[in-house]
Amino acid sequence: MDLTPNDEQIAFQTATTDWCRGNMALEDARARPESLWAELEAMGWTGLTAPGMDLDHASEALVFAELGRFLAPIGLISTAVASRWFPDVAEGKVALALTASQSEPLRVLDPAGSSAVLMGEPGGLRLFDLPDSFTDQGGTLHTTAHAQTIDLSTMQSRHEWTSSLWTEDDPAPALHLQLLGAAYAVGCADAARDMAADYAKLREQFDRPIGWFQALKHICSDMAVRAAAARSQLYYAACALDENAADAAFHVAAAKRLADRAALDNGRANIQVHGGIGMTDEAAAHLPLKRAHLLQFIAPAARETLLA
Amino acid sequence: MDIGFSPDETGFREECRDWLHANVPADKRPLDAADAIGFDKAWQRRLFDAGWAGINWPTDYGGRGLSIVQQVIWLEEYAKAHAPWIGANFVGINHGGPTLILNASEEQKAYHLPRILKGEAIWCQGFSEPGAGSDLAGIKTRGRIEGDELVINGSKIWTSFAHVADWQELVLRTEEGSLRHKGLSWVICDMHAPGITVRPIRKMSGQTEFAEVFYDDVRIPLANVVGGLGNGWKVAMSTLSFERGTGFIADQVKQSQEIEELIAAARANDMIKDDRIADQLAQLRAEVAAVRAMTYRNISEVVRTGQPGPEASVIRLFTSELGQRLERMAVLLMGEDIIDFAYGDDDAVGDYLRGFAATIAGGTAQIQRDIIGERLLGLPKSR
Ligand SMILES: Cc1cc2nc3c(=O)[nH]c(=O)nc-3n(C[C@H](O)[C@H](O)[C@H](O)COP(=O)(O)OP(=O)(O)OC[C@H]3O[C@@H](n4cnc5c(N)ncnc54)[C@H](O)[C@@H]3O)c2cc1C
Repeated sequence: MDLTPNDEQIAFQTATTDWCRGNMALEDARARPESLWAELEAMGWTGLTAPGMDLDHASEALVFAELGRFLAPIGLISTAVASRWFPDVAEGKVALALTASQSEPLRVLDPAGSSAVLMGEPGGLRLFDLPDSFTDQGGTLHTTAHAQTIDLSTMQSRHEWTSSLWTEDDPAPALHLQLLGAAYAVGCADAARDMAADYAKLREQFDRPIGWFQALKHICSDMAVRAAAARSQLYYAACALDENAADAAFHVAAAKRLADRAALDNGRANIQVHGGIGMTDEAAAHLPLKRAHLLQFIAPAARETLLA
Repeated sequence: MDIGFSPDETGFREECRDWLHANVPADKRPLDAADAIGFDKAWQRRLFDAGWAGINWPTDYGGRGLSIVQQVIWLEEYAKAHAPWIGANFVGINHGGPTLILNASEEQKAYHLPRILKGEAIWCQGFSEPGAGSDLAGIKTRGRIEGDELVINGSKIWTSFAHVADWQELVLRTEEGSLRHKGLSWVICDMHAPGITVRPIRKMSGQTEFAEVFYDDVRIPLANVVGGLGNGWKVAMSTLSFERGTGFIADQVKQSQEIEELIAAARANDMIKDDRIADQLAQLRAEVAAVRAMTYRNISEVVRTGQPGPEASVIRLFTSELGQRLERMAVLLMGEDIIDFAYGDDDAVGDYLRGFAATIAGGTAQIQRDIIGERLLGLPKSR
């Protein structure tokens, strides 16, 4: 039993954080350059989870929590999951569809430049062959219309269902998606906590940093508690998946539930800690909150799984 | 990272389970300290005789000298077997003993540690005073040095098990006129010494478990000072770190049983069909899982670096508030039966009322939040 990362994992984690800080700052999340995806691909994060890489879930969780901390593209999650479970067909960027029933169109997140769309369902994954753009026989280029989401770093599009590939009779693929979603949410909760704590040390009122006041200090402490609980459960869930534990589905669901709550609650608290500037479009405080709202809908934890 | 246990550890777990299965007393531990003391001492003795006391204490003093992971395994199995709360032995086993191991002289350790492990010596903790609770550095109880003795005057309050205890971790002012954290000493006080008066206090749950303690020219040998005269603050901090740290592993495991019982109860009385209750239970079950994950992470940290990180306060705060959420849920599921509560009842209402202690004793939730904000997040000190 060991729930702390080993030296190799720490090195991987640190390298990820450093790269993100230099190349994908959270503050820039509202306007990511188009070249970002190519850079992420070049750094290897899109193919990290491919079967040949033999990376364990624990390492993946660590790295995706760091990526999530910088509000990395949502498409990284779906691309990573698709490259594990559809290694022969999924090529390039794979967008993520929220779980939907066949009667409703797919809500596809981060569609730009994607070749296909991944959707999680209880008990499995679907992969739709839905290119974001294609050229017809007459040589005309068709691009799907993209719209904003609440999360300024993520665009969306709508698609009708087409035929899809389906991972049958295997709970693992959907759990993989839920685990990486949880990791993103843990990172998001961390980001809000750190932003709040940093601001509480910097901003002065009544001749002292506002973090001196317990009313603020305790808001920050609660953010730390929520983030720590979610992160610990994320590690446990990743290990449960690695060991094929019988209760892995419960532990992954618990991780997602706690991470979603932590991201949302920390996102809200962060605005309060910032005061007026926290409500502005210009400041970055709203970015983790809005990302948190989006993450709630990505492979959410089912109550039945938590109570099973 | 992994959550598996080695074959050795698994073997140890089976050993624990088998012994507990055959030896956990059938009768319930009495709730009042005075009635429970015989029970607590006998049970501790049985644990010691079978080699289950002081699993990670040094063998020189009667411990088993095993790892902290084995200690955790024992506590997990202990809770799973519904073994009794260690009650009056809590202070000696969970923080008095560990403080001595870290800070005491050879003589002090050789005398006291085996007696604690055997359940022969009951310890209590004399830190809080009427005027000094959260603000521990404000204590006024004083000891004047006379020859090779301390002559002690003052009073302590909220001292759990004081009326049944033999020894006390007593923190007092040994330097006249000293202020705050300076001039304090941590002393092994004989609770049977002349000049000590104990006035038991009843709790709102009906039990008489803590007490006020008065010291009137009580003479204690200077040889009973632990960690050196004037170093009391430092020693007291190590006591608190044990009290707030591994001492609560047993409670954490108990919560995982409580949530299963709550879910079963909500299914039995159909209240689980209420969406809000079902959702709260789902959330609680996720949180209980996180407590184990946090504990494992903290223990791994201890194994890796030799000491628990500042996250210990996080676990303590999270666990204590989660325990209260579980107790509130249990009472909610009882419905109007709460009205029938009477002193002496050992039911969910009693647990609920006693449970308020979790965010008060051993440093209140507010003090824990200060610690987390200041030590973990680096926010400026408020005090
Ligand atoms: C069941 C039980 C058993 C106990 N057993 C023992 C024992 O065996 N030995 C022992 O020495 N003590 C024991 N205690 C005492 C315990 O340590 C104190 O009650 C605790 O430290 C709080 O002190 P207080 O009661 O004086 O409350 P106070 O310190 O007066 O606190 C009152 C309220 O004010 C808040 N507060 C105080 N200071 C601050 C601050 N700076 N910032 C924000 N809020 C603040 C507190 O959080 C609390 O809500 C026990 C207590 C209980 C309930």
